[in-house]
Amino acid sequence: MAKAYDHLFKLLLIGDSGVGKTCLIIRFAEDNFNNTYISTIGIDFKIRTVDIEGKKIKLQVWDTAGQERFKTITTAYYRGAMGIILVYDITDEKSFENIQNWMKSIKENASAGVERLLLGNKCDMEAKRKVQKEQADKAFSSLARDILLKSGGRRSGNGNKPPSTDLKTCDKKNTNKCSLG
Amino acid sequence: MMAISPALLFMDRNLLARKQSARLDKHNDLGWKLFGKAPLRENAQKDSKRIQKEYEDKAGRPSKPPSPKQNVRKNLDFEPLSTTALILEDRPANLPAKPAEEAQKHRQQYEEMVVQAKKRELKEAQRRKKQLEERCRVEESIGNAVLTWNNEILPNWETMWCSRKVRDLWWQGIPPSVRGKVWSLAIGNELNITHELFDICLARAKERWRSLSTGGSEVENEDAGFSAADREASLELIKLDISRTFPNLCIFQQGGPYHDMLHSILGAYTCYRPDVGYVQGMSFIAAVLILNLDTADAFIAFSNLLNKPCQMAFFRVDHGLMLTYFAAFEVFFEENLPKLFAHFKKNNLTPDIYLIDWIFTLYSKSLPLDLACRIWDVFCRDGEEFLFRTALGILKLFEDILTKMDFIHMAQFLTRLPEDLPAEELFASIATIQMQSRNKKWAQVLTALQKDSREMEKGSPSLRH
Repeated sequence: MAKAYDHLFKLLLIGDSGVGKTCLIIRFAEDNFNNTYISTIGIDFKIRTVDIEGKKIKLQVWDTAGQERFKTITTAYYRGAMGIILVYDITDEKSFENIQNWMKSIKENASAGVERLLLGNKCDMEAKRKVQKEQADKAFSSLARDILLKSGGRRSGNGNKPPSTDLKTCDKKNTNKCSLG
Repeated sequence: MMAISPALLFMDRNLLARKQSARLDKHNDLGWKLFGKAPLRENAQKDSKRIQKEYEDKAGRPSKPPSPKQNVRKNLDFEPLSTTALILEDRPANLPAKPAEEAQKHRQQYEEMVVQAKKRELKEAQRRKKQLEERCRVEESIGNAVLTWNNEILPNWETMWCSRKVRDLWWQGIPPSVRGKVWSLAIGNELNITHELFDICLARAKERWRSLSTGGSEVENEDAGFSAADREASLELIKLDISRTFPNLCIFQQGGPYHDMLHSILGAYTCYRPDVGYVQGMSFIAAVLILNLDTADAFIAFSNLLNKPCQMAFFRVDHGLMLTYFAAFEVFFEENLPKLFAHFKKNNLTPDIYLIDWIFTLYSKSLPLDLACRIWDVFCRDGEEFLFRTALGILKLFEDILTKMDFIHMAQFLTRLPEDLPAEELFASIATIQMQSRNKKWAQVLTALQKDSREMEKGSPSLRH
């Protein structure tokens, strides 16, 4: 069987419970905003193939359960991930504070040199914003490679654009790395 | 179901009328602008009724608004009144009369249509009759089962529950009206939880919720005073998860009829077992129990269910023990489905990928709810072993599809099973799964593996944390 893609990437979504990881992945893979959330237990999967510079990139996204208690299980899935997307909720300060802990988990469990992407979700709820963009910039400025963006999961139309744009950046680096290695 | 059917029949009839009028339109574009109005498609029913009434008035017959009941009868004994009205109506006086030839042609066309329509109606009626008979048969067997459970089994629970007859009946699914009672009895109350204890735990949870909602700083200080093992703090997460429990049912969400019950049970449990606390997945289990039991009884069943060794291992996220369960599962996986097992191994698809969700929620999230309840029925009868047997039954049912897939497609398939998974086929598949490996039963395999892992831990103390 001929391969339907040129590159295969494993991406992982992590972040506190309820920040909208599953919602984001559904938006990304199915271009669909689902209002009936269901909590993720363990792990969920989504696939999407994107075209980048004429190459077919197949992304398999691993969507993890957010509850702290599941960390012992979910950290096992960090291995082999080429990109990790850290998600927080801009209306929930705690979810942003916990990004530090998630970063630590990455350091301890993921492959060295894994690409990281910080993502502030629920930008459509600007009125309830608790985490300012500058805060995120400042706190994670040391991670120069990381991309900061805010995405409104709910907004259709261009709501899809931010994540996919930035995932591309993230993947391109991986592509380079793969070709080097 | 019975209540809806007249409406359905009515709709069918309506559709038929609409089809006919549409066809008539085609036959003669000019002739059917009767009474100066073309029947609107959306109003087909209304129009045909109006026309029927006018015809009946002319024919000197009494006109009654058709009741749904009459409709059912009419459906079986077809009288195309509206069509008659249209066809046999003479042209209005201000237009030239129909030539005899044309009138004859129309009459013939009309008769053909009636014959066709009658044929269709008859076929439809036969189909419906068959459906109704099937439904009656199912309802009767459920009715009989309810009687047997209520009159014979439940009063003599201790002596009867493990008899061959009861076990067979149990496998076929417990009727919903006695399901809660049977589950309660089968799960038992080893923990001796009383309704009073539930009230006490609930009061404590409410107190915590109140303090959570009043002041953030105070709560933080309070939290700092608790040891790390105390999981009462997970109370906060409950609120978030309740709205994400069976969202499609729309009964557990804020304002829904079961929202408070679900909230209460999970809160009370968190205060009853602060060392376990609330763990995601619990909301689904509590929700299924609420659908079958009163609040306090659901709490008792919930606490006792979670106290079973397998559930305790998972909800305390005892990773080592969970791995032992997965290893035991793999023993039976290889035994029952060697080809698929090899395929999974080749693709590095480990059981945790799909089993975590299935075991944590006892299939209530991954299978259609009525089917999940049937799994629960037998799980209450056979214990944890049945959860793993079910997993193998699912794998076997989809073996052919799965062997053609790669890792990610298998993972995706298993974490989101087909929504129309057929109950009878799944149970037939589960029935073929042997829970015996080299003369060892599930419990023996599990114990042996547990012993192994304990010895390994002892052997290499450096691995202990």
